[in-house]
Amino acid sequence: MSACSAKSGQAFVRLSKVGKSFRIEGGTIEVLRHISIEVADRQFISILGPSGCGKSTLLMMLAGLEPVSAGSIEIGGQAMRTPRRDVGVIFQDPTLLPWKSALENVLFPIEIFRLPFAKYQARAEALLELVGISDARHRRPRQLSGGMRQRVAICRALIHEPKLLLMDEPFSALDAITRDELNVTLLDIWERHHQTAFFVTHSIREAVFLSDRVVVLGGRPGQVVLDVAIPFARPRDLSIGESLDFNRICGELRQAIAENHARRVAG
Amino acid sequence: MTQDLLIAEPKPVHDGGAHAFGRLTRQTVLPVLTGVALLAIWEVSVEFAGLRPAVLPAPSAVLQTMWANRELLIVNAIPTAVETIGGFALSVVFGGLLGILLSYSTLARDALYPNVILFQLIPKVAVAPLFMLWLGIGWESRLAISLFIAFFPIVISTVSGLNAADAAILRLCDSLTATRTQVFFKIRLPYSLPFLFTGMKISMTLAIIGVIVGEFITSQRGLGYIILFAGSRLETAIVMAALLVLCVVGLVLYGLVALAEQIIMKRFGE
Repeated sequence: MSACSAKSGQAFVRLSKVGKSFRIEGGTIEVLRHISIEVADRQFISILGPSGCGKSTLLMMLAGLEPVSAGSIEIGGQAMRTPRRDVGVIFQDPTLLPWKSALENVLFPIEIFRLPFAKYQARAEALLELVGISDARHRRPRQLSGGMRQRVAICRALIHEPKLLLMDEPFSALDAITRDELNVTLLDIWERHHQTAFFVTHSIREAVFLSDRVVVLGGRPGQVVLDVAIPFARPRDLSIGESLDFNRICGELRQAIAENHARRVAG
Repeated sequence: MTQDLLIAEPKPVHDGGAHAFGRLTRQTVLPVLTGVALLAIWEVSVEFAGLRPAVLPAPSAVLQTMWANRELLIVNAIPTAVETIGGFALSVVFGGLLGILLSYSTLARDALYPNVILFQLIPKVAVAPLFMLWLGIGWESRLAISLFIAFFPIVISTVSGLNAADAAILRLCDSLTATRTQVFFKIRLPYSLPFLFTGMKISMTLAIIGVIVGEFITSQRGLGYIILFAGSRLETAIVMAALLVLCVVGLVLYGLVALAEQIIMKRFGE
């Protein structure tokens, strides 16, 4: 069990004693408590935990879409309170605009930012090429499979070259084979710019495959119960999933999750 | 949310082109034949029952009268059509603006929505004479009546439509720091189009009713005026001929909205 903190030097993302409570009828419910994580620049970190542990809420706070109830979040030295343009987000639902083609959907952030299309068109096409759906770039979402739509969403999140990439279980709604494919595709495209990335998931194997570091959330309210460095070199391919080390780490994580889940269920 | 659900129709046992042709024929020929048959029955029954033309003229008589009075009918169809379009346009503008206001301001919604509904419960036909009192017997009062009757579906469909965009897409826009104006024009408006067109189709049919009611009351010109005037002189054939022309006018105007819908939804549909 090795905790990992930011490498010497500045943390790019700093969560300090972050807490979150929601008001419900009858009082408040504390969802997260005392989350303190420091992430170095260009690190890929997974937030792992069972459903309802608060990991998506944590990501929403990182995205500036939810306010923190306690503590603070700093990204690149600036406090994070509202959404920022240097952050790219991928949600579980690709949410593409139905009347726009794949290419136009990728360029949607550019449209919102009122930047010149011409400058980014080539980049959009290159991104679609990288994820392997260049042929489908003029098709509408209706004509794309779930996996293809999520690929478009990945390109859309990267079109404006964000410094931070946030992903909320982007592959949870897909079948296992497509999911594996997209894991590889994601790493492929991430390694081009290697920006700091947060990946929320409930899949242990996915977290270990993708990340430099896995943070496990558990308990109620959710807290950091484990912080593990993932030692595998990059680029990685799916075969590392059969190695002993990989499965040993998965076992550690599974145990940490199970222990905390039992505690939660017991009340 | 990965795939579209396709509800498959059960395939017929004997497949092939012949069956498809049979279906198309059924869909066009059958209703036409039925219509013709009903007209034939009407034609014959009038003769048989010895009905006076003042009570129920035969279809052939109606068509004859229509042809004989074609100039009169066309001259009066034009103001009816023009005023319907005017009433419809006003409904879209005012109904749309009110819908936008109610969607974006909870204060406006809480204050106005119940009153708008109450307003709509007033039997509008009964209020028409009041409009004549206030606005005279010209096109102003007819347009006002038409607007009064036709604007509510626009309000409702605008409110529904502007709320049709799902939370996920709005959250995406939030994450991109989109302004409210951008969200309105790029997201809410396109998502509201199917609702708007439904509202407009209903509104068009109500606009024409409003104009006819106005013409009944102001009795100056138009197909409504013809119907009233001819009716008072028991010239039932002309009444029916005017009704027929009115149906055509209504169909054409409705068809224009439907056509606009086809064109626009091709661009903004799924």
